[in-house]
Amino acid sequence: MSITWNLLGAWKSIREKGFGAFLRELKDEGYLNCLADGNLLQTKIHNIGAKLIGVDKFGNKYYQNLETIHGRHRWVEYAEKSRYNASQVPPEWHGWLHFITDHTGDELLMLKPKRYSIEHKENLSGEGEEFIYHSKGHSLNPGQKDWTRYQSWQPTKTK
Amino acid sequence: MGLGLLASRLIRPQKTAARNLLLRSIVTKPELQSAEPATTPQPDLPPRTPLAGARVHFPNPDDAIEVFVDGYPVKIPKGMTVLQACEVAGVDIPRFCYHSRLSIAGNCRMCLVEVEKSPKPVASCAMPALPGMKIKTDTPVAKKAREGVMEFLLMNHPLDCPICDQGGECDLQDQSMAFGSDRGRFTEVKRSVVDKNLGPLCCDMIKLGRVLWGIVKLLGVQDLGMLGRGSGEEIGTYVEKLMTSELSGNVIDICPVGALTSKPFAFKARNWELKGTETIDVTDAVGSNIRIDSRGPEVMRITPRLNEDINEEWISDKTRFCYDGLKRQRLNDPMIRGADGRFKAVSWHDVLAVVAEIAHQVKPEEMVGIAGKLSDAESMMALKDFLNKMGSNNVWCEGNGPSPNADLRSGYIMNTGINGLENADVFLLVGTQPRVEAAMVNARIRKTVRGSNAKVAYVGPPTEFNYDCEHLGTGPETLTEIAEGRHSFCSTLSNAKNPAIIVGAGLFERSDKDAIFSAVEAIAKNGNVVRPDWNGFNVLLLNAAQAAALDLGLVPESSQSIESAKFVYLMGADDVDLEKLPNDAFVVYQGHHGDRGVYRANVVLPASAFSEKEGTYENTEGCTQQTLPAVPTVGDARDDWKIIRALSEVAGVKLPYDTVGAIRSRIKTVAPNLLSVEEREPATFWASLKPDATQKTSSTPFKAAIENFYMTDSITRASKIMAQCSALLLKK
Repeated sequence: MSITWNLLGAWKSIREKGFGAFLRELKDEGYLNCLADGNLLQTKIHNIGAKLIGVDKFGNKYYQNLETIHGRHRWVEYAEKSRYNASQVPPEWHGWLHFITDHTGDELLMLKPKRYSIEHKENLSGEGEEFIYHSKGHSLNPGQKDWTRYQSWQPTKTK
Repeated sequence: MGLGLLASRLIRPQKTAARNLLLRSIVTKPELQSAEPATTPQPDLPPRTPLAGARVHFPNPDDAIEVFVDGYPVKIPKGMTVLQACEVAGVDIPRFCYHSRLSIAGNCRMCLVEVEKSPKPVASCAMPALPGMKIKTDTPVAKKAREGVMEFLLMNHPLDCPICDQGGECDLQDQSMAFGSDRGRFTEVKRSVVDKNLGPLCCDMIKLGRVLWGIVKLLGVQDLGMLGRGSGEEIGTYVEKLMTSELSGNVIDICPVGALTSKPFAFKARNWELKGTETIDVTDAVGSNIRIDSRGPEVMRITPRLNEDINEEWISDKTRFCYDGLKRQRLNDPMIRGADGRFKAVSWHDVLAVVAEIAHQVKPEEMVGIAGKLSDAESMMALKDFLNKMGSNNVWCEGNGPSPNADLRSGYIMNTGINGLENADVFLLVGTQPRVEAAMVNARIRKTVRGSNAKVAYVGPPTEFNYDCEHLGTGPETLTEIAEGRHSFCSTLSNAKNPAIIVGAGLFERSDKDAIFSAVEAIAKNGNVVRPDWNGFNVLLLNAAQAAALDLGLVPESSQSIESAKFVYLMGADDVDLEKLPNDAFVVYQGHHGDRGVYRANVVLPASAFSEKEGTYENTEGCTQQTLPAVPTVGDARDDWKIIRALSEVAGVKLPYDTVGAIRSRIKTVAPNLLSVEEREPATFWASLKPDATQKTSSTPFKAAIENFYMTDSITRASKIMAQCSALLLKK
């Protein structure tokens, strides 16, 4: 039933936007990646008939389907279609996604402290040395170590 | 509750945990809570080893008494306290106010133990042990007493352990973990005190009960005291006075808690980040045993190390707080002064080539080498060998004067030994103020004066001592009077059992040095100061390098060598008078700080400081000790002896040693005593072998050898803390 609705929806959007735009949308939404990525395909199939609860600022979509097995009824479809990982979920949605709270991320965003909170950053481990944080003075930090723990005698001060 | 947790609970052989979990959120070990009966006597077991190597000395074998600690019989001499008896028996009694070197205060009550037939627990640190006493240290009564005391002590203790400097090495923390209760019942408002200004070295932050009574005993100046009563009681100096003792830093070590902490170290590091390196101090000639605590490349603090013969467990403030000088004004690159008078950094290769070339251009007798105050024996040996190979013998160590007596070792070391001073009953200080020249020696003299009422008299400029001291005169004529028996002090000296004469090394610089020394020797002869069983003739040196330099024979060939010098090699020498040096002389300064010596230098060679190298030093009593590297060298600096070794190769007179071991075996051929580390080598021959001096004494009075206790060498002069000290404390 729902497959028919989807096909109908697809047909409708081809007619509205044209075939080129439809193909682009297919690509952007990751339907082409589905062919190689079983996880994504499974998520896409799961999404059918589920309710879209919200979209965070990174574009991750949060779905809920109360008809499915309890404990598997909330999931995320990542905005990033090829290299996605769990650390891309921002903290405000984390609680909802992991059944810690029933408040959605959009509601929890209002609790975000203004003064000291920083933007969520995904974990870039394994993505390459340039993305990883290296402390000041670390040999992989591009900035030069330009300080010493001692103060040297300045020869210009002599008479 | 997870399945894994349940499973581990089943596996774990614990009986009570599951039942208690619902009732108690914080679970202490059930063994601590249960009141077990007192341990029954088990005489079959082997005796426990005494705590921390505690030794029992029986002055009179008849006075030995036997007590029982937890059922173990222990033999102790009469007069020992219960706490000491427990230590001998191998039982550690918790304590705060008791310190083995201070008088007993008995006010913290932490050391309560149960004694059989005593109605109440007794404070073991103040209770003398009696024959047959049955002491019980781990009964429910003793445990409950400790827990109660702990609760009282923690009542007004602030909850600032996470930011307190003592955190991690706090007796209070350790003991409250071991003996305290797991919760407090104090609900009232805690008391707080304002930080008091105790001077630049110590800051007082909080006060814990009455535990700190004994501090004053050590310092010898009644600066600290208790103000107020009851909960209003605080530690304070009377009328916001500054602590002005030269040993004031030691209260930090004595204080078992964070009530008195080091101000320069405050909030800089936590003690578990620190790496301890056991080394010795070089800021004076005492060679105090210290531990340098470092974090990475930085020295974070200096604390004393126990050495009964030298510094006991104290160090002077200069030793303790000079370390920030190690981080300032450092020389880190070899430099050559250009034609415009500016220094330019160059490579080691170039700078050694320049120095070697100029060294070959001058005549051998125009070369002069001067070792500095902080030089180690290895580098002085290398310097002397290098200059000898170049053909010159004008090499000496600053502070030893133009014509030092290096022939008889008894003429330049403390023959009594620092520890031996405690046996003396009359002191005669000649031209010396040990309080500033060697604070640890002064602490010994003070201990002797307080302990056995020894008499002290001094000849020299009028100064302040922290014990009773008679001023005899200011100049050599007083010495002559005593030597000829015309002075009233002669009778005191001849009536003394163990008289000690301490001559200051400041006299080495005087032109009538030989006459003064022969006068002192005459006094020693008349007063029977040197006997087979007692040698009371002492020279108190000023600098760490002096004794080793004289042992190695660093004696200038002529006393006029500076005036004719064309090539001067200053190895960390900053206090030599270079006024008379010809203007065209080439000066090489090798050292670690940009201090006085650098201003005249043509070439600067960066060397490592005492905290960064392994070096041998001999202290004023002739005890050889070694420093160990605690932190890496700065910049491009190298060890002193390595620089000279490299220079000798460039100059074509290669020295035959490449390692510290090889240079030490060279030292062995000159002064074998410098290899027996941590051993005091007494002088064998006495000065009576010396020919009589023909010199006449001049009438100039003695001068103070050190004007500023806090700034005596290149490290202390670079230190900000020492500058603050001298500005604040010496002004007064």
